[in-house]
Amino acid sequence: MAVLLRLSVLSRAQGGRALFLRAPVVRPALVSAFLQDQPMPGWCGMQHIHLSPSRYSDSKAASLHWTGERVVSVLLLGLIPAAYLNPCSAIDYSLAATLTLHSHWGLGQVVTDYVHGAATQKAAKAGILALSALTFAGLCYFNYHDVGICKAVAMLWKL
Amino acid sequence: MAALFLRHAGRQYLRAHLSPQLVIRNAVPMGTTAKEEMERFWNKNTSSNRPLSPHITIYSWSLPMAMSICHRGTGMALSAGVSLFGLSALLLPGNFEGHLDLVKALCLAPALIHTAKFGLAFPLMYHIWNGIRHLIWDLGKGLKIPQLYQSGVVVLVLTVLSSAGLAAM
Repeated sequence: MAVLLRLSVLSRAQGGRALFLRAPVVRPALVSAFLQDQPMPGWCGMQHIHLSPSRYSDSKAASLHWTGERVVSVLLLGLIPAAYLNPCSAIDYSLAATLTLHSHWGLGQVVTDYVHGAATQKAAKAGILALSALTFAGLCYFNYHDVGICKAVAMLWKL
Repeated sequence: MAALFLRHAGRQYLRAHLSPQLVIRNAVPMGTTAKEEMERFWNKNTSSNRPLSPHITIYSWSLPMAMSICHRGTGMALSAGVSLFGLSALLLPGNFEGHLDLVKALCLAPALIHTAKFGLAFPLMYHIWNGIRHLIWDLGKGLKIPQLYQSGVVVLVLTVLSSAGLAAM
């Protein structure tokens, strides 16, 4: 507290410009950043603070990934009635792509949630990638050399 | 004392203006990523060999909780099914019609076939309806607790009805 009082004295003496812009940063208890340990009240010492203002972490990758996941979900949702009403080769390949991408990202989230440690997670993600790639290849092969997804479902259901 | 402090604070102030970094009194700004922090947490956690507190074995189950894990479960099952289908196309000899003829040759009872169709449709329909529920949440709607339960029941009813409808087709 005394620290802040002295600083305010200083800034008032200097016309109180830039220091007060930094005031939120100098008051540790109010910093909305990731703190390793909770400071005790009345504490006034050294603290490692991780801050991620935009100039440190400019990557929008995670945010874009999230949006991509939702877009693919909506696409897949639309493809299903389309496949029923208008079965064709274009829908076959679109289904193959959206289905494998949606499941690839979904399985990726499961791995992120339950697999810990950098090495094992990397291995699991690589395994998922291989599975998704093979699945997509298999579905495309089926679309090309066999009856295609839409027709296959129709044939299966006529059993 | 005040003079000493003023000199130090002044130096901080000067440093704050000269360097582009945030100056936190007596602290080191660290630009660690979330991944690094997570890695550090898990390393510390696993190396301390602490026993795991009971969680899912003691926590009272709620409908949203159960439906959430079922969404994940059906998703994984459907993924497995799709992958099995795709891999079979690559690895197994013969074409799809041939495999269907194999099943027809088994002369299974219609009731069994009907049940199998229901069994295939059910996880798919559940995942689709609950998926729509998820997308509605992503729009920020229906997040109040009573709404969670209401939408959950709606999803369950829709699942049963649509699965029955599909199995009858």
